[in-house]
Formats: sequence, C-alpha cells, structure tokens
Amino acid sequence: MKKSMFTLIISITMAFPVAAETLTVVIKNVESANGYIMLVILASEQEFDGDIEAIASMKQRSLAGDNTFTVGNLPEGDYGFRIMHDKNSNGELDSNFVGMPTEPWGFSNNATGTMGPPVWSDVKFSLSGKATQIITLN
Amino acid sequence: MNMNRRRFLTVGAIGAAAGVLPLSALSNVGAAATKRSWSAAFKDALEQRPWLAGYKSVASDSFQGRAEIRGRWPADLKGTLFRNGPARHEIGNFRYQHWFDGDGMLHGYRMSEEGVTHSAQMIQTHKYKAERAADRALYPGFGTIPPNPSAVTSADTMNSGNISVLPHHGKLLALWEAGSPWEMDADTLDTKGIYRFSEKTAGVPFSAHPRVEPDGTLWNFGYVSGANLIVLWHLDKNGRVIKMGKVASDPISMPHDFIVTAKHIVLMMPPLNYQRRESSFLDSHDWQPELPTRVLVVDKNDFSNFHWLELPSQWVFHFGNGWEDHSGVIRFDGAREPSPVNMLTNFRDVMRGDLVGLSPSHHHQYRIDTKTWRAEEERIFAPNIYTEFPVIDPRVSCRQNKRLIMMSADDQSLPIHGNLNRTSTFDIESGKFSSYRYDDSQIPEEHLFVPKSGSAVETAGWIVGTAHDWKRQLTVLNVFNVDAVDAGPIATATLPYSMPLGLHGKFVASA
Repeated sequence: MKKSMFTLIISITMAFPVAAETLTVVIKNVESANGYIMLVILASEQEFDGDIEAIASMKQRSLAGDNTFTVGNLPEGDYGFRIMHDKNSNGELDSNFVGMPTEPWGFSNNATGTMGPPVWSDVKFSLSGKATQIITLN
Repeated sequence: MNMNRRRFLTVGAIGAAAGVLPLSALSNVGAAATKRSWSAAFKDALEQRPWLAGYKSVASDSFQGRAEIRGRWPADLKGTLFRNGPARHEIGNFRYQHWFDGDGMLHGYRMSEEGVTHSAQMIQTHKYKAERAADRALYPGFGTIPPNPSAVTSADTMNSGNISVLPHHGKLLALWEAGSPWEMDADTLDTKGIYRFSEKTAGVPFSAHPRVEPDGTLWNFGYVSGANLIVLWHLDKNGRVIKMGKVASDPISMPHDFIVTAKHIVLMMPPLNYQRRESSFLDSHDWQPELPTRVLVVDKNDFSNFHWLELPSQWVFHFGNGWEDHSGVIRFDGAREPSPVNMLTNFRDVMRGDLVGLSPSHHHQYRIDTKTWRAEEERIFAPNIYTEFPVIDPRVSCRQNKRLIMMSADDQSLPIHGNLNRTSTFDIESGKFSSYRYDDSQIPEEHLFVPKSGSAVETAGWIVGTAHDWKRQLTVLNVFNVDAVDAGPIATATLPYSMPLGLHGKFVASA
C-alpha cells in the first residue's frame, strides 16, 4: 500500500518562542482514491467553532488505504483537527436533506459526538515534541 | 475549503433518531438484571410457559426448507410472501431487553407449482456484521444499551433493518424506521447494502410504513428526534424523489405508521415525547397523557401547507387505510390503545419471560374535516373485540376501502399465550365481522390480503399468514378464502422448523 508523505511547513507569524513541534496524522483505511482528504488544524475553540479562520489547512489527493499528513513547525500548545474526505472534490462536506454528512469525516482523538460532531474538549490535545494520531473516518 | 463547525453543527443539532450514548458504559443491562441475567430468566420462564418460544433468539442466520402442504393450495396463488422481524435476540449470554431490539431477518415463502418453500437470511447490516465479528453486542438497540457500547455516529450505525419490507420500482427493500432502508436480493435474500433513493436523501429516516398509491406513487415520513423534525417523502413509481418536506415538531414523538389520501398526509403524534437524555432511545421518551395526541395533516401538493389538530391522548401503532371524499372529509381507521403500555412494558417483560398478555387495542374510525379542521374518533367494534395489524386490498390504498382485514381477539375467548389469536374480515358497508380463531398452540402473525389475479378490487382473493406453532416448534403458513375466513384455512404449509415471531410483510405475485 503506497504511503504518501506530504509535508507542509507552516509559517506562524506570531510572537511565540521557537516553533518545533511536529504532528503526524495517519488516516486509516480510506475506502477510495476519489477526491481529496482535507485536514484542518485548529489552535483554539473559536477556530473549532468557525468563529475565526483555522490556523492551517491542507489537502491532498486521496489514496485508498492509509493517508498521512505531517505538520511541522507548530508552537507547543493545545490543538485539534478535523478531517473530511471530499470524494466528489466539491470543496464541501456533503450532507443530506436533514444535514447529516454523507461523506466520511473525523476529528482528532477520534472524537465523535452523540449522533453529531464532538465538542472542543473531546477534540483538543496537547502538542509537545513529536506526536502521531491514527484516525479512522466515520 | 468550506467545512466549518457551524455547518457541521446542523448535524449535531439534528442528531438523528436515537439520542443516546456517550462512550461511558451506560448499559441498562445491569440495573434490570437483578439476580439473574435476562437470558437465564427467559430460559427458565420457557419451561413454565412454552408459548414464549416465539421470542427465542433465532437458532441460525440462514434457513431453507420445503413445506408440507395439507389441503389444496390454490393453483392461482403464486408468488412470494416476504416477511421481516426482529430475530437475533441474543448474542452470547447477552439478551436484548426489548422485543424491538433484535436484528432483522428477511423471509421468503415461495408459492409455485412445486409447492411452498421457505428461506430466510439475517439482514447483513453494519451492526449485525460488526457484532458477529466481535461476538458481542456493540451498539444500542431500541430499548437496550449493551455493556461497553460503541459510539453511534449516525442512526444507520445501529440500524437493525428489522420491521418491514417494501417491494417497489423493481427492488426489494428491508425497512427499519429511524434510518435508511436496506436493499435485498429478492431471490437469494442476500443483503446488497444500505439503500439511498438519491444523494440528498442518503441516511434520511424512512419509516417502515410507506403508503403506495395504485399508480405506484410512494409517500413516506421519517422523524429526526434530536432536531424536532418530521421529514416527508414523495417518490414516483420508479423510486425517484419528486419532493421532500420538513415539518418542525416540538415536542416530537416516534410515530410508527400514517395514512395518505388522494389529497392529504395524516400523521398522528401521540404524546410519547422525546427528551434528549443518556438512556436508550425508548427510555428517552416520556408518556405524557395530560397532553393531547396531535395530528399533522399535510397537503400532498405543497408540504409547506399543513395543520395541527388534536385528539384525546392515545397511542396507535397501525392504521388500515385512509381516504378522502369529495367534500374534503378524511376517514381512516386504526388500532387504538389508551397508552403505549405494550411498547413500554409488555414488549420488555416478554424478553425475560414475564409476559402475561398484551394490553388491548380497539379499532377506531377517525374523521377529519378539512374545511373546519376538526378531528373526531369513534370505536368501531364492541369493547370485547381487540384488533391489530389492519390491512386492505393494496389496489385501493389511499382510496375508499370497503373491507378491512385484521388480526383480532375476543376477550371472551382469550388464548393462553396472551397474543391476538384470530384472523378477521370486516365488511364496512354491511358491518359483518367474521373471524377464525387459531388453536391456542399457535400464535398467528400479520395476515395479508392477496387479491385473485384479474379480479375486481376488494372482491375475490385470499388471506395469507403465518403462525408460530409453539407446541410442535414449527412455523405454518395458512391460506384462507377471504369470503369465508371463519371456515378456517383451505390449505396449510408447515415448515420443518419454527421462526421467531416477526412483524410485517408484503406479497409479491409471480409475473
């Protein structure tokens, strides 16, 4: 199974100490090579809520099987991320007539809500040094 | 990229039909089990009350058998009776605590020149396959949360597909009510997978009781409890989505069936109201008899045009049929209970062997005047007659019906097993009620009317239905002449094994 390593250096223009943390996200068992996998990094609850724009977002063509993202140069701190498999490449998480997603989605910590999205406290994790999260999409 | 939490939040606010379950071990199995597991309690009870055998978990996930026929099977009764119902009630030592929890099994009773054969397959839902692999219950059912439950991210995660079947636009669908249908292979009874009518309706709840008009137009509803939403479906005879509707309902109940006339949809909302809480789906509802039963009446041509009416608080599982006359008066019938005590209590008790008898339901005639927007009801039969599972000639669906076929019981002759024990016909014009009383050793299930091919509507045909013979541990399929149901079966096909008691079916005539 081919693995694609797609590394993105994020330039954080903030007055923080030297950023050196690396986050690796491995998305397991993606069912198809259609469309794109999108990863959105969130550095605060406001970013999670969509009140302000997320600190970073990345996308890469989907592979069947494992899809890996490496995010380097993040300052140490609390983060969350969300993922969607945009199978039809329309830039959106498609949903049905009553608003339920019809494309695969996931969150950091494999957090899920009760029949809906999780809350920030379930999604949040502390990033220090190197960290890897293995995610299965819903 | 355009994925923000606010948009995704609509999903959370909606949170489909089963508002259940953080990952904590919120199993309700421990609390009720007291000293013995429900599995052990049921096993003990079976020895005292062998008629509970119909509530045993199915012994295998696949069956095939040839029936022995007694009597003369009508030569022109050819086709397949498909049936569905909860069948896997136990996984290992774990037994579900509500009759509605068990995973669905699809049955085909095939009637041909070669006689009558039966086959059955467990419906290969996501839930069934995952639990088979894990060899334990993983997901909440309708009334039971197993120990250490897995997360439920959508209604279809826990979809057991276990209520009814729908043959339509060349497909055979197994129906649940709080999520998607399952597409089945009508010949092998294999599961093809989750069914979607269109991309936009994938995963939208589709009830187990769609109403199909004589021209094949299909109407259905669904409920999304966490979003206080009723969904309405309008499909053409080819299964294409013509339009969808949404009606807000606060509070929201879990309606099971509805009726459709030439002009309106009528959906009764009993005051069994959803409260989001950390409980099973059933336990997340409160029966509030101080509130009325609300009745939603919707214009079929314009789903944004609707009225809410009121009736005294009551619970109706099933309606026979509805129709509308030229003056705009809607009439329909239903098997009415004062409260959902059967669902809340009896269908739980039976799982540990405690059922004494089902609580009575009485058939009512309902009338809605669409000029004054008033609803009325009236009991049809004497109080000693109980009814359920009303059905009609499918060719008069949503039009005036002159006859009703239903299961019934007479409280002067109740059976030892506590379930309804008669198959009956009611001629609406003449008022004639006829029934055949099954022997106490057999628990009859839903019986359908199968028209004689080429006959005029509501005339010649047969009543066809199964019964669980608990004494002989066999399931039988009976056929009656609709004009002489009280004479008893004209032929009986006996299977070489018994099947668990199930729910609903449909007959598909051979081409």
